[in-house]
Amino acid sequence: MKYLPTIGIECHVQLRTKTKLFSEVDNDARGKEPNSCVSPVDYALPGMLPRLNGEAVRLAILAGKAMNCGINASSRFDRKHYFYPDSPKGYQITQFYEPIIGEGYVELPSGTKVRIEHAHLEGDAGKLTHFDSYSLVDLNRVDTPLIEIVSMPDIHSAKDAHDYCKELWRLMCFAGVTYGDLYNGNMRFDVNISLAPEDSKKLGTRAEVKNLNSFRSVERAVEYEISRQTKLLNAGEKIIQETRGWNDATGKTTGQRSKEEAKDYRYMPEPDLPPIRLSSEFIENEAKKLPLMPSDYRKLFKGLVSDDILEILLDYPTLMMRLNEIDKKYLKSISNLFASVLLAEEKTAEYLNDLPTAEELNDLASMNEKKELSSTATKEVFLKLFDPQMKNRGTKNIAKELGLIQENDLDALRKIVDIVLEKPETKKAQEDYRAGSEKVLGFLVGQVMKESHGKANPSAVQEILKKKLS
Amino acid sequence: MDIKREDILHLAELSEFTLDESEVDSLGRDLKDIIKYISQLDELDTSKIEPTYQVFEMENVWREDKILEQDATREELLALTKHEKDNQIKVPKVL
Repeated sequence: MKYLPTIGIECHVQLRTKTKLFSEVDNDARGKEPNSCVSPVDYALPGMLPRLNGEAVRLAILAGKAMNCGINASSRFDRKHYFYPDSPKGYQITQFYEPIIGEGYVELPSGTKVRIEHAHLEGDAGKLTHFDSYSLVDLNRVDTPLIEIVSMPDIHSAKDAHDYCKELWRLMCFAGVTYGDLYNGNMRFDVNISLAPEDSKKLGTRAEVKNLNSFRSVERAVEYEISRQTKLLNAGEKIIQETRGWNDATGKTTGQRSKEEAKDYRYMPEPDLPPIRLSSEFIENEAKKLPLMPSDYRKLFKGLVSDDILEILLDYPTLMMRLNEIDKKYLKSISNLFASVLLAEEKTAEYLNDLPTAEELNDLASMNEKKELSSTATKEVFLKLFDPQMKNRGTKNIAKELGLIQENDLDALRKIVDIVLEKPETKKAQEDYRAGSEKVLGFLVGQVMKESHGKANPSAVQEILKKKLS
Repeated sequence: MDIKREDILHLAELSEFTLDESEVDSLGRDLKDIIKYISQLDELDTSKIEPTYQVFEMENVWREDKILEQDATREELLALTKHEKDNQIKVPKVL
């Protein structure tokens, strides 16, 4: 039997606010001691009052707009109760009934549209580390602002699941709402997968794979679940609705505690936090701050940069902004340079922290166009534009300092050619060429290049040699 | 509304309470009385009334995104826990 997979994805995005969602402590705990970014509010001491971080509301509006979502004029918070040591309050503050972000969609590079059901603000939980006989609790992450983005079940392949997560990551990074550091859990994905016969109108029973933190693991987990569930269904067995964990090393999902009864979180309105009411003017004003999104660049650069190259560069928001500033006629050559560096060099991301200016890039492409720089020299100067020792001196100065500017002055080149042709060691080659051996021309060009210390434009030299020897 | 033994046991489990046999029955009776008392409100027709989520009628109580020095130190907060290890709160193993 042929089955159609149906996939819905929930994504948690940590917002890049300075402070936490409900308290004034440092939200950036990277490299800091455990429990050093914790206030009495996070600690849930009796009588503590959470106070909403306005910046989180603003970032939520940007995130929503990045996904073409409506922003709700009215939203509020609820308590989601559960007992676990990662939450001293005994509940998570979330938006269950009235979320801030309404329906929208994300368009994948392939053109597939994935609808967004809603997205809401909530606080993150603390971090547990497990040992043999005990667990340790670090509350630094408690109430880091999150938005949870809930997709509709519009995804039907592992590839689209991968592309959806990657596009979400790009949208959130371009919108500037998160640091987007996947390695440190800035974005985490929960994937729901079910299989149903292709002609069936009813969805199958789903399994949920939680806490995936890379696009690749999302793709692999979906592939694995499709094959696992297909085997079970073909054998006439039933899929159990359960949470499954992903093991990156084995490439498998395994069943965690299966929940026999439905979760019972006893949601109730959060009485400590007054509702959020947003005027349309406020929403519009905030939405104006949204910079160009990947889909905008796809339209702007269409036909100027190849799709493959563009998709590589679209992982880097600041790079796209810079490319948008340079002369359109140089966009292709400069994009290719960036793509080749990003593909070939190990340094990738940190390479782009401090980008060359638009002027430096325009100059580089223009020098290459005028043949003042060979393609090898262009790449060399391009890399120097990132070099802390060299940068900010201007492209022309760097090229001059490195002695890479090609000699295009034909009179000067003719003089060098004459010198070379006078040399006894080139006489034999000259004779051979006149006798019809084309391949010795390469040797003679090489001699001229050597004489010019590599600065001569080789194609110009070749033309001069041909004329002189004819 | 009838409160069954299973309801009490379910609620106890969700709240991480351990109950004696005798407590299950007495709590059930108490809860039934409470619900009966509150149920008097059902006589009112609230179908056309917006739910009240909070009584102060405030909205948009936001604060600036600015880090403030905390009154309580890590040491003071950790001192409130029963068990501590390496500046973390030590709890029985959970998975």
